[in-house]
Amino acid sequence: MSNNESTPQSRLLRGAQRTLTGLHPALESLLAAVVGLLVGAILMSIYGFDPWETYTGLIKGAFGGSYEIASSLSRATPLILTALTFSICLRAGMFNIGAEGQMYMGGIASVLVAYFVLPSGLHQIAGLIFAAFAGAVWSIVPAILKITRGVSEVISTIMFNWIARWLALYLAIFVVVDPLRPEKTLSIPMSARFPVLVRGTDLSYGLFVAIAFALVIYFLLWHTAIGYEVRAAGLNPSAARYGGIRNKRTMFLSFILGGIAAGLAGAAIVMGLPPTYAIYGGGGLPQLMNLGFDGMAVAMVGRNHPIGILVSALFFGGLNAGGRVMQFYGAKPVPLEMVRVVMGAIVLVMSIPELIRLFPMIKKRGEELIGSMRRLTRRSDRRESP
Amino acid sequence: MSDQVTPSANGFFLKADRITKVYSDGTVALKEASLEIRPHEIVGLLGENGAGKTTLTKILSGLLPPTRGRVISPKGDVRFVSPREALDFGIGMVHQHFALVGTFTAAENVALSHDRPFTRLRIAETRRKLEGLMEESGLHVPVDVPVEKLAVGEQQRVEILKVLSRDVDLLILDEPTSVLTPLEVDELFTLLRRLKREGKSIILITHKLKEVGSVTDRVVVLRRGEMVGDVKTAKASTEQLARLMVGQALEQKADAVELSTEEIPRKTVRKAIDRSSEGILHVKNLIAKGNTGEIAVNGVSFDVYGGEIFGIAGVEGNGQTELVESLTGLRVPVSGDATINGTNILGIDPRQIYRLGVAHIPEDRWELGLVLPFTLAENAILGIHRWKEFRGPLSLLRWGKITQHVRRLMDRFDIQATGPNAPAKSLSGGNQQKLIVGRELAKDPAIIVASQPTRGLDIGAAHYIRRTLLEMRDSGRAILLVSADLDEVLAHADRVAIMYEGRFMEVCTPDELDRERVGMLMGGVTAKEAE
Repeated sequence: MSNNESTPQSRLLRGAQRTLTGLHPALESLLAAVVGLLVGAILMSIYGFDPWETYTGLIKGAFGGSYEIASSLSRATPLILTALTFSICLRAGMFNIGAEGQMYMGGIASVLVAYFVLPSGLHQIAGLIFAAFAGAVWSIVPAILKITRGVSEVISTIMFNWIARWLALYLAIFVVVDPLRPEKTLSIPMSARFPVLVRGTDLSYGLFVAIAFALVIYFLLWHTAIGYEVRAAGLNPSAARYGGIRNKRTMFLSFILGGIAAGLAGAAIVMGLPPTYAIYGGGGLPQLMNLGFDGMAVAMVGRNHPIGILVSALFFGGLNAGGRVMQFYGAKPVPLEMVRVVMGAIVLVMSIPELIRLFPMIKKRGEELIGSMRRLTRRSDRRESP
Repeated sequence: MSDQVTPSANGFFLKADRITKVYSDGTVALKEASLEIRPHEIVGLLGENGAGKTTLTKILSGLLPPTRGRVISPKGDVRFVSPREALDFGIGMVHQHFALVGTFTAAENVALSHDRPFTRLRIAETRRKLEGLMEESGLHVPVDVPVEKLAVGEQQRVEILKVLSRDVDLLILDEPTSVLTPLEVDELFTLLRRLKREGKSIILITHKLKEVGSVTDRVVVLRRGEMVGDVKTAKASTEQLARLMVGQALEQKADAVELSTEEIPRKTVRKAIDRSSEGILHVKNLIAKGNTGEIAVNGVSFDVYGGEIFGIAGVEGNGQTELVESLTGLRVPVSGDATINGTNILGIDPRQIYRLGVAHIPEDRWELGLVLPFTLAENAILGIHRWKEFRGPLSLLRWGKITQHVRRLMDRFDIQATGPNAPAKSLSGGNQQKLIVGRELAKDPAIIVASQPTRGLDIGAAHYIRRTLLEMRDSGRAILLVSADLDEVLAHADRVAIMYEGRFMEVCTPDELDRERVGMLMGGVTAKEAE
C-alpha cells in the first residue's frame, strides 16, 4: 500500500513546491524579484526612508548610462563564473561551496604570468590556463574524498575555502609580492591584461570569457551525452546507475568543471580589473573576497541554469553597482548599512523558490552529515573500548 | 490453539464495520471489510501483498481515514484523526519499519512518544516507568544505550514497550517476524501469549502460515481487499488457509490466459526447449545480502533458456529484489556464479551487463526505471544514450534522432503523452511503464529481466505489457519474470520457482502446481512438512 498520508508540514511544503513549480521559472524569478524589492521597500519605509527615490537611485546607478551598465557588467563577470561552479555541481547532485577557495587559487595562479614573457593573446591564454588548472586542482581533493570515502562535499569544500584563503594570503604577501609595493602582488604585465571594453570603466574582455564558459556549460549539460549523464545522476542517482552511468565519474567531472569555472573567475578579476591588475594582500584579498559565496546566490536566482545565471548575474552586478549610488539619492539618503540590508532582503526572497525546490536535496544532505558524524562517534567509541 | 479463554459474543473491544478504502490514485485497497477484535485473543491477519492487511490496520490505528464504513467500540462509533487519538483510546501499532530515533536511548525514545508539544520531557521519570514495565512484561532491553546499537530484535522490543507504555488494549504488529531470527521469533511469541493472558487483544499481520498456526487463536484472511475467511485457528488446516489466501488463482488461470494472450495461445507450437545444457542465463548457488546485511538470497540456482519465461513467484520481500539486483549489476552478491551466454555477470557494472544483451524492467519504476523530472525523450535513451545512433562526435547528443526514436516508441507502445518533451512525471503509471518497457525492448535483448512489470497498472496497460513479453518469448528471448502477482506468473511462465526466505521452495511447470500447494509454498511450508 502506498503511504498517501503525510504530516501537515510536509504537505504544506509540497503544496508550496507545486504552486511554484507550476509557474514558468523565468516568471517565478521575476515574481521573486518584485517581492524582494517590496520587502526592501517596506524595510526602508519602516525606518523613514523614501523607497521610491532610493530605488530610482539604484536603477540609475545600475543601468542609467553606458558607464553604469559597464560597471554592472564588470561586477557580473566573476559572479557568472562562480555561480556556474555551484550550478554544475548542483546539477550533478552535490553542494559545492568551494567556489570561494577555488577562485583564490585561480587568482593567485594567474599572477604567475608576471614571471615570463609571451606575446599578447598567448599570454592571456596562459593566464587562463594557469587559473583554470589551479581551480581544478583545488577541487580535486574534496572530489576524491567524496567519491572514495563519502566525505560530505559541503564540509570539505568549506574547509578548503579556509585553507585557500590563508594560502592565497601567504602567497600574496610573501611569494608573488611586488617588491616595490609590498601591499600587493606583482601586476599582470600589459601583454597579459584583458583590454578594457568601455573606456573609462573597469569592464574588460573578461566578460566574454565568462559568457563563453556559460555557453560551453550549457551545451555540455544539455547537448552532450556526458552532460546528460551528469544531469541524470544529479536528479536520480539510482536510476542513473541502473542506466549504466558511473556516478563517481560524473561527480568527479562536475567538480573539475566547477573548479575550472571558479579558477577562471579569479583570473577574470586579476587580469581584467584596472587599475592595478594585481591582488592586494593587505586587507585580506578585498577584491576577491565573497565573490564565490555571492555566486551561490546568483546561481539560485538564475535557477542553476547557465542562461539564467547570465541574467541573474547581471541583476546582481546591477545591485552591487547601483547599491553604491543608492546612498546619494533622495532628500534623506539611506546609509550604506541600509543599502546592504535591503539588498540582503532582495537576495533572500529571490532565493526562496529555488531553495524550496532544492529542499529534498538539502534535507538528504543534512541527514548524510548527521550520519557521518554518527559514524565518527561510533568509531571513536570503538577505539575507546578495547 | 489455546482454549482457555472463551470470549463472550458481545464482549468485543473494537469492530471494523464494512470498511472500504479507496486511495487517491483510485486503488481500491479494501472492499467492505469487517473485523471484530475481542480481548484475550490473538488474531492473525493473513494475505498476500496488496491484500489490504496494512490498510485495514492503519485505519484501525488512526493513520488513515476509511472511505466508507465505521469503526465501532462498545461505547459507540469512534473516529480517530491521528495515531495519537488511537493510542489514547488504547490502540497501538508496531510498524514494519521502526519509528525510533537511532541516537536516542530506549528511555528517550519512549519519553519522546509521550511528548506533547510545549511540555517538559520527563526522561528520568519515563526511565523508571519503563523499568517497571520491563519487569512486568518480561521484555528486557538495555535502557541507556542508543537504540541504533541494539540488535533488530531488541529495537522491536523497544517499539513494543513504547506502545505498551501507553497502556494499550489492542496491539497491532505488522509483519513483526520478517526481521527477526528464529530465536527472537520464539521470544516474541511467548510475549504475545503472555499479553493475551493479561487480557490484551493482538492483531498479527503476516503471510507466514506457520506463524499463524503457532500463535494465533483466530485467522482472518484478506484477498484483494476482501475478507474471505474468518476461522478459528484450531479448526483450520494449513491447506485450507493456503487456499483462502491464494484464492482461485489456479482456477482462474484459463481465463487469465485468454485475457492476456488473446490471439497468442499459451501452447503455441513451439520448439521443445533443450534444457540439457546451460541456459542463456545460468545462475548457480547465488548468495546475496539485503540492505540491512541479512542474507536475502540464500543459495539459488537456475537456468533460463531462450524462448521461455521463467517465473519467480512468492510474497515480496523474500529475496526477489536482491536476486534481480544481483543479476543486473545493481548489487554485488556475496558468492555464487551467474553467467549470460558463458560470460560472468556478477559484480560488473550495469553498462557491461547491458552489452551482453540484457534488458531490465525494474521493480521500482520511479526510483530506478525513470528520471522523473527528465522528459520522455531523455528517459527514452537512459542506458542507451551512448549508442552511436544517439551520440555523435564530441559526445554531442543527436536530439533529432532521439526525438524520432521516442515517436517510434510512442507509436509502437501506445504511450499517451503530450509529446517527446513532456516530463516523465506527467505521465500516468501505465504510460510510464510502457515507456520503460519500450526502451528496454528497443535494446533488442537476448534476455529480459522483468520485475513486477504490471504492478499498479490498469488492465489495458497490464495486458499490453504481458502480451509484449509473450511475443518476446516467442521470438526466442529468455525472460525472467519476477512478480508478486501469482496469477500473472502462473498464467505466463513456462516454469515457475516459488521463492521463500531467499530460497526456491520448488521449481516446476505451472501445471504441476495446485493452489493449495502454491499457497503453502509461498507461506514457507514444504510439501514434505504438509504431509
